[in-house]
Amino acid sequence: MSSLRCFQRLKSVFCVQVNSGVRRISAAPSSVQQKESLVTMENPYKEAQKGCVLCSITVDYKNIQLLSQFISPHTGRIYGRHITGLCGRKQKEVSKAIKKAQAMGFMSVTHKHPQFMKDPNICGIKLLD
Amino acid sequence: MPRYELSLILKAMQRPETAATLRRTIETLIARGAVVRDLENLGDRLLPYKIDKHNERHSRGSYFLVDFYAAPSILTSFLDHLQRDVDVVRSTVLKKDDRVSSSNCCGPQQ
Repeated sequence: MSSLRCFQRLKSVFCVQVNSGVRRISAAPSSVQQKESLVTMENPYKEAQKGCVLCSITVDYKNIQLLSQFISPHTGRIYGRHITGLCGRKQKEVSKAIKKAQAMGFMSVTHKHPQFMKDPNICGIKLLD
Repeated sequence: MPRYELSLILKAMQRPETAATLRRTIETLIARGAVVRDLENLGDRLLPYKIDKHNERHSRGSYFLVDFYAAPSILTSFLDHLQRDVDVVRSTVLKKDDRVSSSNCCGPQQ
């Protein structure tokens, strides 16, 4: 019994309870904290604006090879904007040029010229060939 | 005077007859006070579709391009003249736009 009490007394001596909950208040420097002025600059990670495929190319009704790349090889229908990926202005120019060429007897309406069938596919369409 | 472009499709003929038709057309233009600037031959090709003109079905043709300056008042009579010409399959006059749109289309050009 007494040994237990001794042990308890020893325990109280040795175990120095440190109240970890107490926050130490750090002494703020007397001088005013000077914040660094924000350096204003243009976003350095900005990516260059991407243009459409025909950005720097003039569209002409006589250039039927170029125009034939935007029509279906089976039916000769003009592809929409979601397929060609052209911007508004160029899509309209291409569409108008195709209709002009078809009316003037330069380009066929119902099919694509067989000479241009092997041209690279710039429209995002997968044909079931 | 505004600048026009005439795209001419002639019947598939022998060389001297084609030359005579072209000569006739350009002389008509000059007679009406036009200044012919350029005459280009785009070659003889198969027409993209069969064209019926002057009671004849054409499948081949010679393509020509005439660049000229003219007063707008002569155009109707000139187109009428071309319609009457038996050797001409199809003719279209378009206004030529000299200014190239320099404004960037969808972004800066690379």
